[in-house]
Amino acid sequence: MGDFNQIDLLFLGDFGVWVLILLGLLGAAVLGLSWYDLRDMSPLRRGVLVGLRLLVYAIAVVLLLEPAVELKHVTKIKNHVAVLVDTSRSQTLQVDEGETRLGRAQAFLQRDAVQRLLTTPHEDHLFDLFTFDQGVNPTTLQGAVDPKLPAEGDATRILEAVEDVTNRVGRRDLGGFVLLSDGIDSGLLGGRVRRGEGLDQETRAFIERLGVPIHVRTTARSEGLRDLAVEQVLYDDFAFVRNKVSVDVVLRVVGFEPATIPVTLRREGELLQTQEVEVGPDATEYRVTFEFVPQQIGKEIYSISAPGYSGEALRENNRKDFVLKVIRDKIRALQVVGQPSWDERFLRQLLKNNPNVDLISFFILRTNENVQLVPNDELSLIPFPTRELFEDELGSFDVVLFQNFNFRPYGMSQYLPRIADYVRDGGGFAMIGGELSFTSGGYYGTALADILPVRIPPPGAREAMVDTREFVPQLEEAGLRHPITQLAFDPALNREAWAALPPLEGTNLVLGPQEGATVLAAHPQIQANGQPLPVVTVQEVGEGRSMAVTTDTTWRWAMEGVGQGATSRPYFAFWNAAIRWLIQDPELKLLKVEVAETVVPPGGDAHVNVRLVRSDYAPAAGVTGQLDLLFRPLAALDGQEAEATTALQRPFTTDDRGLVELTLPVDQPGAWTVRAAATTEAGKLTDEDIFLVTLDTQELRSIQPREDLLQQLAQASGGSYAALPDDDADDLTFKPARVTQVNRRRVIEVWDSLAVFALICALLAAEWMLRRRWGRL
Amino acid sequence: MNRRTFLTTLLAATASPLLLARSARAIGPGSQLEVGVLRYGGNFDPRPTALRRMLQEVEKRTSIAIAPRTVQVDPLDRDALFSHPLLFWAGDRSFDPLPDAARANLGAWLGAGGTLVIDSAEGRVGGPFEEAARREVAAMLPGRRFVAVPRSHVLYKSFYLIPEPVGRVAVAQTMEGVFGEDRALVLLSHNDLLGAWARDNLGNYEYDVFPGGDRQREMALRLGINIIMYTLCINYKEDQVHVPFILKRRKWKVE
Repeated sequence: MGDFNQIDLLFLGDFGVWVLILLGLLGAAVLGLSWYDLRDMSPLRRGVLVGLRLLVYAIAVVLLLEPAVELKHVTKIKNHVAVLVDTSRSQTLQVDEGETRLGRAQAFLQRDAVQRLLTTPHEDHLFDLFTFDQGVNPTTLQGAVDPKLPAEGDATRILEAVEDVTNRVGRRDLGGFVLLSDGIDSGLLGGRVRRGEGLDQETRAFIERLGVPIHVRTTARSEGLRDLAVEQVLYDDFAFVRNKVSVDVVLRVVGFEPATIPVTLRREGELLQTQEVEVGPDATEYRVTFEFVPQQIGKEIYSISAPGYSGEALRENNRKDFVLKVIRDKIRALQVVGQPSWDERFLRQLLKNNPNVDLISFFILRTNENVQLVPNDELSLIPFPTRELFEDELGSFDVVLFQNFNFRPYGMSQYLPRIADYVRDGGGFAMIGGELSFTSGGYYGTALADILPVRIPPPGAREAMVDTREFVPQLEEAGLRHPITQLAFDPALNREAWAALPPLEGTNLVLGPQEGATVLAAHPQIQANGQPLPVVTVQEVGEGRSMAVTTDTTWRWAMEGVGQGATSRPYFAFWNAAIRWLIQDPELKLLKVEVAETVVPPGGDAHVNVRLVRSDYAPAAGVTGQLDLLFRPLAALDGQEAEATTALQRPFTTDDRGLVELTLPVDQPGAWTVRAAATTEAGKLTDEDIFLVTLDTQELRSIQPREDLLQQLAQASGGSYAALPDDDADDLTFKPARVTQVNRRRVIEVWDSLAVFALICALLAAEWMLRRRWGRL
Repeated sequence: MNRRTFLTTLLAATASPLLLARSARAIGPGSQLEVGVLRYGGNFDPRPTALRRMLQEVEKRTSIAIAPRTVQVDPLDRDALFSHPLLFWAGDRSFDPLPDAARANLGAWLGAGGTLVIDSAEGRVGGPFEEAARREVAAMLPGRRFVAVPRSHVLYKSFYLIPEPVGRVAVAQTMEGVFGEDRALVLLSHNDLLGAWARDNLGNYEYDVFPGGDRQREMALRLGINIIMYTLCINYKEDQVHVPFILKRRKWKVE
């Protein structure tokens, strides 16, 4: 070759396709005629002669095409071959005693053949090394084989890494890829191709456009792997309180013999449900669905977990914790009325016209005392569905209103304890006055009396149970700023607004407030045990709230207020606020703490907002308070006894907007609570929010290597595939370098040779001689 | 009067004293349903006994607590007007236009929650009283107009199932109404409802019904009870149809 570095075979004869076809046909004719002509000879002689003729014909055709050898000296641009080393977290998993998946990749890079390939200057290729996970980072061979090379990526994005490198070097100068990975792709590729599926069209098109081989060496095999993982927990970002919630759990179970695995759902450590899953070697994916009903608004930490088994590659992925935000869709109100009245009419209208209220009403339109002279089919009445309302569906309501309703005629005694428990468990309850309410309604000594905010007297004469005089209720001190009775922000104006209300008529007589209850408005003349008779009283009852309004004429605020030249607003403001207070509307909180994140990785920051408003909901500026950061380890979410510890205490002062914005670094995995406390004229206020600190990465959820995916990737690109450590680098070939310039060129015509001419003559002579000898002219 | 009607009347008459003797079920008078008659001038109360008689039936047949008397309400007296959310407006002849203040008061009263039941005692559709009443309603509620109350309306099933609205006469097969967002503000009967309810002190009906029959009078009473029930409960009965669906759609339990 001398100075030449490339050799090519050429044909100088400038013939078209039709000429070549014609020559082929002519050759076939020669073959046929010869075969026919020599038909009387023995097959051997016939074959020899026909063969010689064909050989001569073939050489003649070759000469006609004028073959030549082209020797060239060319200049090439070396293309880039990228070696991609997966440094995602799954690469830290052990494959052999003491060896990780990443270590196996590094061992491959340290083999002699690979070292030679990567370090010896190559005529066609430049070798670039990259680590990749959720991004791509250039490295060196030394860096790639460094035992301290971290594998901390929270994702594996193979196609994205290939595209990134392609963009870096340019598609024209790309020679190929060597991919060292376990194939657990959490990017485009993994999203498009599920386990057991073939490559999708889009990925195939992408690989085809690349036009270079991707040689894959997988760092781990499924064979011998044993792991149980809560791979995915599928749930909506938020749930509605008292609405059924479904949580779908995907389990990945690899290397297990037939077994029954219990999977549990816990809420804040409390066991809610356990489901058993039958697993076996024939499948790796199992699905479980949990259904439950959140009972409280706010954030709650839920945990899905399965036990750890011996020999598992990773036990940390046997559980997954998540935060569910529970909100309210509509206020679900149950209005039960003992007799139609104006008070009922106006309250029903208020509730019915509120688009945020889902109202179920039940009115007693006829009692056993009423005369009934017509058949039932001429009436539109239906039975009072006590069991449906107070047994089957009670828990679905946010608030229950008993408006001038006596329970006894309807056999409801058995349901009163249920209603009391419903309130203690977080429900809202209001009893509104009338001759069928409180003592007059027979509630003395019942379970419901225990949760009322007023103490009611035993039954007696009518005069001892009701008073029929007109009165204008007076605000108590607590009522000046309470959201229910706050008709004006300024306490003095609020008192005036109440004094200007149309008078009410008649009140139920009670003994006074229950211990711990708050009287918001009272009767101006009547005393109960030395204190003004409560008219509007509220109380916290366990997790719920109750309210007593000892009159049935608040409708007058809506109607007669207009008659006095004012508006219906006081009536609407009072009852709307009452409903919101009863259902514990978070918007009524004066102090509110919110953590922007629900899940923070260890070592990350939680961004906390504290918002403080005064009783009139104006920003509370310059108020000092304290913020506590409480920590519970993850074990507490498993139901184990674990004390919450205070990790941080920090004083704060609100700015002009009544806001405090804090960034809190957190490191320990667990459940964290941010609790804020401040004191304003409304008293001591507290609020809290929760978040999780956990390494919630899909990388360690699905650790079963995806050999099938990698194999398809290699095949589609024309690359090779092998599982480490059983392979070397012999079959690593790449796209040739691109030639940009021919420096020297020499063409040697092969056909223009005496030897070829002599060969043809010799063959013709041999044919002639043999034909004559075998008796033919 | 046939035997069944006789027995029914006898039973009702026997039961009435007992029912009237029972204690009131509302705390004070203001908690009871006190229905007013609109005192607008002219012959404003052509059937003076009718409303009280009908309300007695309401008290007997339903759980509603009824005030023992009816009141005459002057539309210029705002205190009286706004403490009576239900007014009957009856007449048998034309009347002079109401003062502007009365019209304004009634307009505000209707907007605040009042309901006006217009009953024509003229025995025909489109009589002078009816025309005058329409004129006044148009002035009280500008932009709103009367429409027929369809047979499917909850008014006809608020307590009794009423196939056809009748009164002392049956000259119109439908009632008319002026509707707000969620309820009828004004109801108009052409059939002299009050005429069918009116009874003297001895309990005898004061007017014969036409085309006639005890059934027609009974249906007129039922319509009166339905009007009272509708005024207090509005579309409650319509809701009842949807309750099973509402409860079912909630999906608040794990089954």
